[in-house]
Amino acid sequence: MEYDYSKLGLSTQELFSRVDHSDLESEKITAPRYSYWQSVFRVFFRKKSNIFMLTLLAVVILFAYLYPAFTEYDRFGQLMNSSAKHLSPSAAIKQFGFSIKYILGTGASGNSTFDAVWYGSQISISLALICAAINMTVGVIVGAIWGFSKKVDVIMTEVYNIIGNVPNILLISVLVMLLTASFWTMVFAMTVTGWIFIAYFIRTQVVIIRDREYNLASRCLGTSTIKIALKNILPFMTSIIVLQLAAEIPGYINSEVFLAYIGLGLNEMSLGRLIFAAEGAMMTPGWEIEFWSPVIIASIIAMVLYVVGQSIGDAADPRTHM
Amino acid sequence: MTKYLLKRLLRGLCSIIIVVGIVMVLIYSMLDRNLVFAADPMYTHVSNNSKVSYVYQKLEDYGYLDYVTYTDYLMELTKSGELDEETRSAAAKLGEKPEKDSEATAEYVEKFTKEYQSRGYTVVRRDTVKNGRKVASGGGAILFAHKDKPLFGRLWDYFTGIFVVDSVRNVQEDIPDRGVTFTMYDPLYEGKFSPAIIGSGTTHRYLLYFDSKFPYIHQNILTIKLGTSYSVNNGVDVFLTMTRSQGSYVLRQMTFPTGLVEDSADDLHTATYLAGSREGNLVYQDRFTDDYTNVDMVRMGNSKLGYSFTFGICASLLAYFLAIPLGILMARKKDSFIDKLGTAYVVFISAVPSLAYIFMVKAIGNKLGMPTLFDMDSAGKLMYVLPIISLAMPSIASLMKWMRRYMIDQMNSDYVKFARASGLKESEIFSRHILKNAAIPIVHGIPASILFAMTGAIITERVYVIPGAGNLLTEAINKYDNSVIVGVTLFYAILSVVALILGDILMATVDPRISFTSKDR
Repeated sequence: MEYDYSKLGLSTQELFSRVDHSDLESEKITAPRYSYWQSVFRVFFRKKSNIFMLTLLAVVILFAYLYPAFTEYDRFGQLMNSSAKHLSPSAAIKQFGFSIKYILGTGASGNSTFDAVWYGSQISISLALICAAINMTVGVIVGAIWGFSKKVDVIMTEVYNIIGNVPNILLISVLVMLLTASFWTMVFAMTVTGWIFIAYFIRTQVVIIRDREYNLASRCLGTSTIKIALKNILPFMTSIIVLQLAAEIPGYINSEVFLAYIGLGLNEMSLGRLIFAAEGAMMTPGWEIEFWSPVIIASIIAMVLYVVGQSIGDAADPRTHM
Repeated sequence: MTKYLLKRLLRGLCSIIIVVGIVMVLIYSMLDRNLVFAADPMYTHVSNNSKVSYVYQKLEDYGYLDYVTYTDYLMELTKSGELDEETRSAAAKLGEKPEKDSEATAEYVEKFTKEYQSRGYTVVRRDTVKNGRKVASGGGAILFAHKDKPLFGRLWDYFTGIFVVDSVRNVQEDIPDRGVTFTMYDPLYEGKFSPAIIGSGTTHRYLLYFDSKFPYIHQNILTIKLGTSYSVNNGVDVFLTMTRSQGSYVLRQMTFPTGLVEDSADDLHTATYLAGSREGNLVYQDRFTDDYTNVDMVRMGNSKLGYSFTFGICASLLAYFLAIPLGILMARKKDSFIDKLGTAYVVFISAVPSLAYIFMVKAIGNKLGMPTLFDMDSAGKLMYVLPIISLAMPSIASLMKWMRRYMIDQMNSDYVKFARASGLKESEIFSRHILKNAAIPIVHGIPASILFAMTGAIITERVYVIPGAGNLLTEAINKYDNSVIVGVTLFYAILSVVALILGDILMATVDPRISFTSKDR
């Protein structure tokens, strides 16, 4: 089809000008600029439910870390006041006047359940975050080496088989009895063997990707192993690592609750200890709220962390960026 | 294949031994052994030298060390005939101080010290503690030797002691007509036809017998011993603790060897020898003709292992029957409402603490009028429902998640596109082609879920008060019952090694492409 250039009001010289061939220019790829992390956030915020969950997470974290700083909480402050114990929310508000402190009633020593729950959450969330940070760092590094080196693989697989068979409860209880049941003992007990399970998971993923054609080609071209690991494999693993992390963090909150329930918990009143202490209240009509409040808060925290982590993990997968 | 499996078994055995070794180091060397006395009321009641001997006696009971007292040593010498009764009583009197020993005592004290020091023991002598001129309470002089058990010796003793074969020389005392007899007519069934092998001089009276309980034929020739419990179930082996039936006694009319007919719960087939037990006991004299008096009782309930297994296997079956069709449905109707609902359930179960949803099931069940507490003596089947649902919930979630994942992975592969292009029906593609491939990794987990049903579930069993095996390890840890801890660990380790190997075998049978030896390819 003929096109009438005269409509544009330009001369032939202006329409067509000679361009010199440039080697540098011809190598450039004209595609929209792609930034990995920008795309991750774009995909993440595209979904309304993710924004909601993130807000919920922010609220939970704010309550767990800021609320205790602004309120005075004394667990045994009303120990001698027998009329303040085991109050239902309405009774507590009636007695003490309306305050956010008493919207969940009071516990066995006349303490505010609402305060206790957030103090406990702070301990539980900190424990989970620290354990996850240590285990993920060690696990990913060891897992990468484990996946790459065949010599290390033989030894580590045996070590894994052995450590995997030592009952975890036993290890934790021995450590708790050896050192007192403090926060850092718990961190130590949960990380001393915990990393190996993550390392094994990472190792399997590395083994799957390691022998792909593009890595073989890379190696033939003389790329160093470290560069292959960092540039070829790590980007592939990002979403897997984030997904694993998303399952890991609530996992620590849950295992802390589990350990406290069987009597191996912390000294401090973490969420798990609160649940353990309130187990008797569960069976007493009218007192159930003392048991259910920490259980529900623990569930919400674990759930929100899990869902946000899963969504970030999904968003971190470059295949979803299209 | 056989060679490969043997190698795997051997390696599994090695890792089991190492695991047991690690656990022994953990509990015997790293734990503070004085914790044993933390909740012991006796400990505060004894004082002075008695306290020292009490501590060492207890530590020996808990398996920490070997402990020999001077008195035991003298008794041993008397038994072997080296010492007569008179010298023994003369030598047994320790002086208030070593200088005040009589001649005979000094001689044997020196012998004792020399003998045990040469064997690596530490010999301790504590002088009489006096309160003014009187001997203080528990203050008598004592002399004993003690030695910590070395790890390798302990491991060796433990593993060589697991299988015990009954022998006719097991009974030390004089016993008439030592030997084994085979009879077609078990005396307990009064002349009815029932073959049995009866031993005399063996630890067990009945070595092989038939009865009405599954699996109908029982043997006592080979006994498995995983370690004698101390504080959890005093004097009873861990294996027996796990496998012995519980609950209230079942009384029925029976005839004892003396001809006495009485209502009793005794299970005479389990009779073992207990030296000198008949002599001082009038009940035994009425019932038994010899010293095979130590019998188990017939009880209503199952064993710990039995309960855990019943619940575990029902939960596994429920999980497989529900989760696999659901997972397939989720994959087929990807991104539909049912897929989203299923995913929400999976997220709920993986994020929420197990404690929370178990209590939730219990609370909902309670509202619906279901029994929430387990009662061994009741025959009701309804009380099984809630624990099984609680146990199945997490396995349903994980099975659903993986089934859906594997199905979706397979759905994009070339063979599916080819099948579709060839004109196969969608349902045919799913059931014939995709399912076969997607089920392979699922199949790998089946032996593990069956075997691990035996270990029980700690929280579920606690919440519903089920007398299962799940609580055994935590109970043993809380009561410092070291041999139970070791025994249970060994049991877990064996299960996990066997489950992994069985899973691999099953996977290789289902999928002929999988082979574990490079030669088979």
